[in-house]
Amino acid sequence: MSRLTREIREAARTLLRDKQAQVVIGFEEGSLPLRSRPCFIRKAEDVDRLVWNSFSEINLARYLTKRKEKVALVTKGCDSRALVELIKENQVSRDQVIVIGVPCEGMIDRARVEAEVGHKTIVEVKETENRLALKGRAFEKVLDRREFLYERCKTCDHRNPVLYDMLVGQLLEEKGQDAFSDVEAFNALDREKRWAYLTEEAGKCIRCYACRNACPLCYCPECFVDTSQPQWVGKSTGLSDTLVFHLVRAFHLAGRCVACGACEQACPMGVDIRKLNRKLLKDVKALFNYEAGVSLEEANPLATFSADDPEQFMVNP
Amino acid sequence: MIRENARILRKERLERFLEDLLQDHLVLAPRRKGELLLLDRIESPRDVVLEDGKTKNSAKYALFPQRERIFAYRAEEGKVELHVSPPAEEKQILFGVRPCDARGLLLLDTVFGGDCGDPYYVDKRARTLVVSMACVNPGPSCFCLSLGGGPCSTDGSDLVLLDLGDCYVVEAASVKGRAFLQDRSFEDAGAEALARAGKIRKEAESSMNPAAIGEALEKRLEQPVDDLLWGDLAESCLGCGVCTYLCPTCHCFDICDEAAAATGERIRIWDSCQFPLFTQEASGFNPRPSGKERFRQRIMHKFSYLPRGRNMAGCVGCGRCVAECPVNLDVREVLEKLSQAEAQ
Amino acid sequence: MTECGTWEPKIVAFLCNWCSYAGADLAGISRIQYPPTIRIIRVPCSGRIDPLFILASLQKGADGVLVSGCHPGECHYLTGNYSARRKFALLKSLLEYVGLEEDRVQFSWVSASEGARFAKVVEKVTARIKALGPAKQLVKDVPGGSFDVAAHS
Repeated sequence: MSRLTREIREAARTLLRDKQAQVVIGFEEGSLPLRSRPCFIRKAEDVDRLVWNSFSEINLARYLTKRKEKVALVTKGCDSRALVELIKENQVSRDQVIVIGVPCEGMIDRARVEAEVGHKTIVEVKETENRLALKGRAFEKVLDRREFLYERCKTCDHRNPVLYDMLVGQLLEEKGQDAFSDVEAFNALDREKRWAYLTEEAGKCIRCYACRNACPLCYCPECFVDTSQPQWVGKSTGLSDTLVFHLVRAFHLAGRCVACGACEQACPMGVDIRKLNRKLLKDVKALFNYEAGVSLEEANPLATFSADDPEQFMVNP
Repeated sequence: MIRENARILRKERLERFLEDLLQDHLVLAPRRKGELLLLDRIESPRDVVLEDGKTKNSAKYALFPQRERIFAYRAEEGKVELHVSPPAEEKQILFGVRPCDARGLLLLDTVFGGDCGDPYYVDKRARTLVVSMACVNPGPSCFCLSLGGGPCSTDGSDLVLLDLGDCYVVEAASVKGRAFLQDRSFEDAGAEALARAGKIRKEAESSMNPAAIGEALEKRLEQPVDDLLWGDLAESCLGCGVCTYLCPTCHCFDICDEAAAATGERIRIWDSCQFPLFTQEASGFNPRPSGKERFRQRIMHKFSYLPRGRNMAGCVGCGRCVAECPVNLDVREVLEKLSQAEAQ
Repeated sequence: MTECGTWEPKIVAFLCNWCSYAGADLAGISRIQYPPTIRIIRVPCSGRIDPLFILASLQKGADGVLVSGCHPGECHYLTGNYSARRKFALLKSLLEYVGLEEDRVQFSWVSASEGARFAKVVEKVTARIKALGPAKQLVKDVPGGSFDVAAHS
């Protein structure tokens, strides 16, 4: 990992010094163990803040909309896919972003690491290759990082950025198509069980909108939950309103969500938000043969149509 | 200070103590729900989890719920019937909350209590006993000590338990708490136990890193800070409500009417100054148009306006905002940078 | 409620102005009987339908929702119903996936000349929803409702 850090810093230094970019958006070390966080570097002498490690979670493409500066973006696979969608939706222009592509071997699920040490306070983490050395007040533990990746990282089929202006590190071998076995497994459950699961997850939601605000594709100036004339969705944590919020947000992302998981990472309550997005991803692929964020030429599936689109679900007396 | 009227609760007696409490109180304590540690109602002493640090939600949730009905109504034939829930009579105990959460209640008391007492809050507060669990292992995100509190602080609590390993030292911190000290599950504390407790407290306090909070910061914040610096500090902020909703002292709320055809209810719900709608005016103008202004307001409210107006910072140093912020925006670092910002 | 007190579902029907609404009108003029369970909301085109309308209807207590538009190729606005068809397919699939009863939300194509067909659609949809009973799942919490939240949340 440290080779990537070095190369990212070099790239950033060059771009800033030669004034090719006004800001480099990347990750820096967080203030707590297991955390890295977004940073905005504008001076070449600050590039040593940039790091690349397995805690570089949030989707940085989220910081591109409504920005006037020329940006160099430290971009992993899922970030690049979000960028592609943003370009297609005219929220960012391609020449406004210099993509520093970074092949990604997955990010670590903090919640699982914390559970693994019995929720004891972790005071220090050292990451080397695939080894995570954790230290607490009265314990030490070494984990294999590959066993603690986010689920979505384990099945990721776009580890390399889909577009880039410069590449650090080396391209990784892609693992092949996503089979959506998680969606099928859930679909196989009884209807009541599925509803019970959804209502239980919605019961955890505190309507903080971290999921929405972390999502690179949620950039509406006025979100549907904030309209008051008419008020579509109540603002309280009532179950019905919360379910409708998540259902509609997922639907608004149909064909646009790139499954980066920023929503899940941002959620403080551990709500299984991606459950709905995963289903829509599968349907969009199966029904319209479309995968978001892969091609700059392919139009969004809900902005086009085909005369032969499936309609067997319709009532036909 | 561990006072002389402290007592001991042996760990094997804890279950009985809790069962006694459950007899005629509603008890809220930390419990595991999936991977979350939440402050929630317990049915049995076995539900309680005391070892794992702060609950995700703070104690304010017990006195200031996220969704609270003010009244319900039914409209029929030109008349409207209001239904106001009678105040509950059940006494409640917050058991195992951390000293930071207990201190947070003191700030909420100044907002919801006093001359303009909020009846919903005041009623619950009067029926609530706070039994805190001192922190012997403060985490890397904790900074209560820098705000006048501490891992073993008794502020805001009625009773404080401190874990000695085989037993808890129980200290009363209020008149209500003192009445409880005679509980049948407690025994006299010897000097040795009190000495051990003092040592643990000192170790806990010295393990914490100080944050740049205090008079110097307050003085600096009386003068304007460069707008560009605020922009830099707030740049990674997502503008969500995580920090405000999990904060033990944040207290902003909205009142909504939820109406069906002929019935409805008026509810109070939490609101967040980080949401754009918070200051949106009917004309369309928003005096806090971007995240930068909203972020600035949050910091100023907590660390300048509240200390000046209520002699108490709007922060107890629990560190939830630091640990739960999706982008790990660390308020301690923000305050450090503000303290050092050149005067305008 | 009918006079004998058996439960009749309340179904919100979003009908596109040019085809389905006209088809419903034709059914009326032709005196074709169909169950009086639908409450019609006229929209310019089935493509206007936002999933929010459907979910809001369910929240407010509708036992079912029917959305009906022009046959593909016959849309007054040329392509509105094609976009709608894609949205409907995804929405129906999503709602089923989360465990909503499959027949609560239905879609159909009815043209302006198909009065009899409209009646048949309403019959079929009503029968399916009647078999499910009153909707409970997404109904919003109002006093006395199924998600009635106590004063202490």
